[in-house]
Amino acid sequence: MAEVKIVGFLCNWCCYAGADLAGVSRFQYPSNIRIIRVMCSGRVDPVIILDAFLYGAAGVFVGGCHPGDCHYLQGNYYAEKKIEMARRLLKEAEVDPKRLRLEWVSASEGERFVKIIKEFTDEIKALGPVTFEKGAMEAACLAAADYRLRILATKERELLEEGNKYGEVFTRHEMDRLLDDLVREEYEVKRILLKLNKPMSVKELSAELNLKPNIVLRHILDLKRYELIDLHEIRDNTPTYIARELSEEGEITE
Amino acid sequence: MTEEIRIGVFICHCGINIGGVVDVPAVVEYASTLPNIVHAERNLYTCSSEGLESIKAAIKEHNLNRVTVASCTPRTHEPLFRATCKEVGLNPYLFEFVNIRDQCSWVHMHEPERATEKAKDLLRMGVAKAARLEPLEELTSDVIPSAVVIGAGISGMTAALSVARNGFSVHLIEKEKEIGGMLRNLYRLYPTDEPAEEFLEQRIKAVKEHKRIALRLSSAVRAVEGYVGKFKVILDENGIEKSIDAGVIIVATGAEEFEPEGLYEYDGERVITQLQLEEQLKKGDLNWAGIKNVMMIQCAGARGEVVGYCSRICCMNAIKNAKLIKEAHPDINVFVAHNELQAYGEVYELYYRDAKKAGVRFLRFPLERRPKVRRSDGNLVVDVFHERMRLDIPLEADLVVLSVPLVQNPDATQLSKMLKVPLGQDKFFFEAHVKLRPVDFATDGIFLCGTAHGPKDIGESIAQGYAAASRATIPLARGYVHSEPIISSVNEELCIGCGICESVCPYGAIEVVETEEGGRARVTGVRCKGCGTCGSSCIKRAIKMYHFTDEQLIAQERAAVVTEVIS
Amino acid sequence: MGERSVLVIGGGVAGMQAAFDLAEAGIKVFLVERTLSIGGRMAQLDKTFPTNDCAICILAPKMMDCYRHGNIEVLTFSEVISVEGEVDSFNVKILRNPRFIDEEICNGCGDCAKVCPMGILNKFDMDLRVRGGAYIPFLQAVPLIYALDREKCMRCGLCKVVCGKDAIQYDQRPEIVEMTVSAIIVATGFDALDPSSITEYGYGRYENVITALEFERLICAAGPTGGHVMGKDGKEVKSIAWIQCVGARDMRDNRPYCCSVCCMHATKEAILTKEHYPEVETYIFYTDLRCFGKGFQEYVNRAKDDYGVEYIRGKPGEIREKEDTNLEIFYSPSSDKVERLEVEMVVLCTALIPSEGVEALAGVLGVELDEYKFFKLKDPYNFTETTRDGIFVAGYCQAPRDIPECIAHGSAAASRAMEVVLGGNRNHEKSQ
Repeated sequence: MAEVKIVGFLCNWCCYAGADLAGVSRFQYPSNIRIIRVMCSGRVDPVIILDAFLYGAAGVFVGGCHPGDCHYLQGNYYAEKKIEMARRLLKEAEVDPKRLRLEWVSASEGERFVKIIKEFTDEIKALGPVTFEKGAMEAACLAAADYRLRILATKERELLEEGNKYGEVFTRHEMDRLLDDLVREEYEVKRILLKLNKPMSVKELSAELNLKPNIVLRHILDLKRYELIDLHEIRDNTPTYIARELSEEGEITE
Repeated sequence: MTEEIRIGVFICHCGINIGGVVDVPAVVEYASTLPNIVHAERNLYTCSSEGLESIKAAIKEHNLNRVTVASCTPRTHEPLFRATCKEVGLNPYLFEFVNIRDQCSWVHMHEPERATEKAKDLLRMGVAKAARLEPLEELTSDVIPSAVVIGAGISGMTAALSVARNGFSVHLIEKEKEIGGMLRNLYRLYPTDEPAEEFLEQRIKAVKEHKRIALRLSSAVRAVEGYVGKFKVILDENGIEKSIDAGVIIVATGAEEFEPEGLYEYDGERVITQLQLEEQLKKGDLNWAGIKNVMMIQCAGARGEVVGYCSRICCMNAIKNAKLIKEAHPDINVFVAHNELQAYGEVYELYYRDAKKAGVRFLRFPLERRPKVRRSDGNLVVDVFHERMRLDIPLEADLVVLSVPLVQNPDATQLSKMLKVPLGQDKFFFEAHVKLRPVDFATDGIFLCGTAHGPKDIGESIAQGYAAASRATIPLARGYVHSEPIISSVNEELCIGCGICESVCPYGAIEVVETEEGGRARVTGVRCKGCGTCGSSCIKRAIKMYHFTDEQLIAQERAAVVTEVIS
Repeated sequence: MGERSVLVIGGGVAGMQAAFDLAEAGIKVFLVERTLSIGGRMAQLDKTFPTNDCAICILAPKMMDCYRHGNIEVLTFSEVISVEGEVDSFNVKILRNPRFIDEEICNGCGDCAKVCPMGILNKFDMDLRVRGGAYIPFLQAVPLIYALDREKCMRCGLCKVVCGKDAIQYDQRPEIVEMTVSAIIVATGFDALDPSSITEYGYGRYENVITALEFERLICAAGPTGGHVMGKDGKEVKSIAWIQCVGARDMRDNRPYCCSVCCMHATKEAILTKEHYPEVETYIFYTDLRCFGKGFQEYVNRAKDDYGVEYIRGKPGEIREKEDTNLEIFYSPSSDKVERLEVEMVVLCTALIPSEGVEALAGVLGVELDEYKFFKLKDPYNFTETTRDGIFVAGYCQAPRDIPECIAHGSAAASRAMEVVLGGNRNHEKSQ
C-alpha cells in the first residue's frame, strides 16, 4: 500500500536549513514528504508544481524565508504570487487548492517546520487520494507555461503596489476579478487545444468540456488567429478543427 | 549529448545515524536497479578519508561521469565531496547530494521501513537529477581591500584593529558620538577589578591612532548592497548620506540590558539593574548612608521568566559588584540570590571563592520559586525561598539590584534585513554553524563578533573580535573570491527582450541589451546569486537556472512520485 | 629567507582552525601533531552539544580541508623540541617520530593491520578496544597512513610480507626537521584526569564506574561496542548516573577551577542514552549546573522535559559496589541526611587538565604556565597572548572552553599571527 506522497520544494537558506535543524534536534514528523532543494522559493515555477500533481503528488509544499528575510531580498514575495497562480489553476482542474501550501520557515525554526509538516500531512491524508481528469491537469500545466499567466504572476505585485504603465493601482478586488477571468480563459483555451489532438467540432467540444458553445467558439477563433489550430474539414456542414502541433500527450517538455 | 551517463552511488551509514534506521544494504541494492547506475556501494562514513578514496577509486575504475552521495546534508558536506570529485578530474558540478540523514533517518527514527522507502525515493530523485547535471566552471571576482566594521564596542574595536594591523583599511561605524560601547558605562571589570575607564582608554587610543582605521561616528547603516568582495554600505553620518565600498563586513553591534519593567518592584531608584548600579558606582553618587543590606537577584527576566536563555555574564558581574561593595563597605550585608551560579572556567571559580571570602552571602533559590520583592511600610523586603528548609525567608533590603539578561539591540532586526543574515530564536544574530562556524554568517563575506552573537564578557568579546578579524582577512589577503557558477543564462533564441527578468532581479545581474535581433536579456555572472526567480518569471521560459534547471527539477519531482523509472 | 610562515602546535579543532585561516589567507603553515592523526579530542566524541551534531561527521571534512590545503604542511607523530630566535624569526626544530611505514608510499589499505598478530589496547578508544601493532587510531584518521607501534611490534615481518606497496621500514629512524617561522600558535588541548586517585568513587576497582570520555566511545556507533552502552560484563545497563566535578572544583589536588563543559557534556550523554534506550534511567549529580552558552539552557530544558533526565544537586560522598556489581551512590541532598541511589553504571565527569607534556613544551617555547598548568596570559583580557612575543595560544590549553569557543579562539590566534606576517611590521604594533 503506497503512502500518499508530498513533494516539498525548500529554499536552501531558510526552510531547508530549518528542516536540517529538525533532524539535528531529532524532532519526528511523518515520512510522506520528499524534499527537493532549490536556492530560493522564488525559483519554484507553477509549471513544475502542477507537473508534480499531474504525475501523482498528493500535495506540494513550498518553504521559503520569512517575509523580509529572503536571502535574495524579494524572491519569497514573488513565490507568493506564483503559488497563488498555481492554486487558481488547481481550482480550475478541480483539485482542492489546499493541497498546495506555501510557508515561511527560518533556519532556526526546526520546531516550526515539524509542526507545519505534521499539520500539512494530516490535512493531505484527510483529503484522501487526489483525483482529476488528466486532460484538465495537463491544461493547467500548459496554462501555467503560457506567457499570459506568467506575466500576470510576476507583475501582480507591481500592479497592486505601484500601478500599471498608466499609473493605475489595482485594488485587491479588481486584481482578483482580473485574475479569475484570465486564468479561466487561459485554462479553457488549453483544454480545447488538448482536445484537438483529434478533429472535433465546436459542438462536440462544448459537450465534452461542459462549456457554452459561444465561449468555445470564441476560443477557437483565437486559437486559429494565433495559428495553433487549423480547420480540419467540414463535416455535415459543421467545421471540425485540429491542433497544429503539440508535443506528445500534451506534456510540458523543455 | 551523446555521452553515456555513468553514475556512481555512495550510500553512507554515518555510523548508526543512518544505518541504525535505514536499511542501507537494501538501498544499495535498489540503487543498482536504477538507470545509468554503473556502480553502487555503501560506506561506514563516506566522508572519511577511506570513503573519499573509495569515491575517487570508483570514478577512475568505472569511468564515472556523475557521482551521487546519499548521506547527511549538502549544507555541510557538499564542498568536501565536490572537491573530491575535482581531485580526480570530475567537474565538481557533476556531483549530486541526497540528504538521507537530517531529513530522513533522524526524523523518522521510529519508522525504519518508511525511512528506508523514503531513502530509496530520495535516492531515485537524486539520481534523476544527477543524470541531467551539466559541468560548470567557477567564477572569480576581485575583492576591494577594505573592511566595514559595524559597531565600535570592545569586539568591534578589536576586530577593526586586527584587520588594520593585518594591512587593510577599516571603516569603523558607530551610532554613538564616541567609541567604546557598553564598556563606557561599566565601573570595574572582573576578574582584575581594574577600572573600565582606564582599560578602555588605552584601547580607544590604539584605535584612534591607527592610520588604517577611519572612524564613522554618529553613523547609522541605511542600506547594504553587493556581495563578498564588493559591498556598498550606505551610511547616514550626522545626517549626511555617505557610501562606503568594502570587501567584507563585520557585525559587532553589541547588545543591551533588558529593562525589567513591572518585575521585582523595579523602580530605577531602590530597585535597580546591575548596569544602573555600575553607573552610580562609577559616578560615586550612590548614597550609602542608610544602606545596610544589599540584595542582588540573579536571572531576573531570564531563564524562562521573560527570555528563555541564560545570559552568561550576570553571575560574574553580580559577584564582582557584590565583592566590590563588600570590600568598600564591610559593614553592609551583601546577598546574592541565585539559582545555578555561572562561575565557569579557570579564573571565575577562583574569583567567586574570593567573593565568598570577602563576606558576600550567597543564597540559592529554585528556579520555580524565584525571589519576590515587596514593599512593607516603605521598606523593601525580599522573600527568598530556602531550598533546604523549604520556606520563604524574608530579608530586608535597602537596595535591590536585579541581574537582568543582555538582549538584542532593537536595531538588529533592521540590520539583519539589510544584510540578509538571520536572527535566532533568542533574537541574537545566528551564525553559520553553531559548532563549527561561530563567527561566520552563511552569507559569504559577512562576519559576526561580540554580544551581537549572544551574551559575552570582555575577554570573550575580544577573542571573538580577533576571530572575526581572521575570517574577514582571508578574502582581503587573497584579493579575489571564487563564486559559484550556479547562475542563470538566457536562451537568446527564445528571449523576446520583454525585460520582466530585469524587473525581478534584485542584483541587477540580468539586463536587456540591444542586439541585431532586437532586445535580448543578458546575465552578468558574478552579480548573479543564483536565486532563479528570473527563470520562474520568464514568460517565454527562455532562462535556464544552472544546477537547478527546469529539466532537473521536473525530473526530481516526477521521480519523487512515480516509483517506476521515467526516462 | 623564503616565504613567511607560522607554526601551529596541536591538531585539534583550535589548531586546525588557526592553521586553516592562515592558509586560506595565503600564509604557509606547519601543523605539528603529536599523535598519528589530526582531529584531537573532538574526533573522540560521538555527538556534540547543544545541537547533537555528529562530531566526526562535521569534523572529518575540516580535517580533510586542513590536510589537503596547499599551504598547510601537516606533520603528524611529531614534536617541537627546540625554539630559538624571536618574533618574526623563530628557528624551530621538530622531531618526527618514525612510523616504520613510509608515509609517501602507504595508501592506507590496512592489510598490515589485518595480519598483525599483536593485540594492543587502543588509546583513542580509551583502551576499550584492541588494535594491531600496525594501526591507525581511528577509521577517519587523517592522514590515512598506518604506523607500527614501536614498543609492542615484535618485528615478526608478517606485515612486510603482505604490504603490496613495500611501505614497511623497520629501520626507519627519528628525523629532525628545521624551519624558520614568523609566529607560533600553541593549541595543545587537554587530557582527562585519571580518577583512580579519587578513591571514594572506586574507579579502577569497580567494574562499571567509567569516565565520560569512555562513555563517549561506548555510545559511538563506530566505537568498540558499536554504540551499545554495556557494562564491563557485557550486560546492557538499565540505569546510569553521571557525577560532575570529579577532581575539579576540588581543593584536594589544588584544582579549584570549573572545566566549563562537563555539565553540558553529561546532559548530552544522558540525552543520547535516552535516544538509544528510552527505558534507561538517567541521573546527573551536579554542583552548579553550568549552562551559560548559546542554546544551553534550552538544551537542559529539553533533557528534563522531553527526555526525562533527572538532575540531582549534590556531589556524592561515596560509591559502593554491591555483589551483583550494581553501584550504590551515597549523597546528601541536605545537610542532615544521606540518601542512597542504586544504579548499574556510573559515569565520572572528570576534570579536564592541560595535556601531558605541556610543561616541557612551555620550557621549549620559553613561555610561562599558570598555577594549574594552563598557558599564562600576558593580558588577562586578551586570551591569545602568551608571555612571549610572537607566540600565541588557542583552545583549551589556555583555559577551559567548549568547541565553538575553541574554534573562535583558533581563528583569533590566527589573526594575531596574521598581524605579524601580513602586517609586514617587524616590531609589530604592540598588542592591546
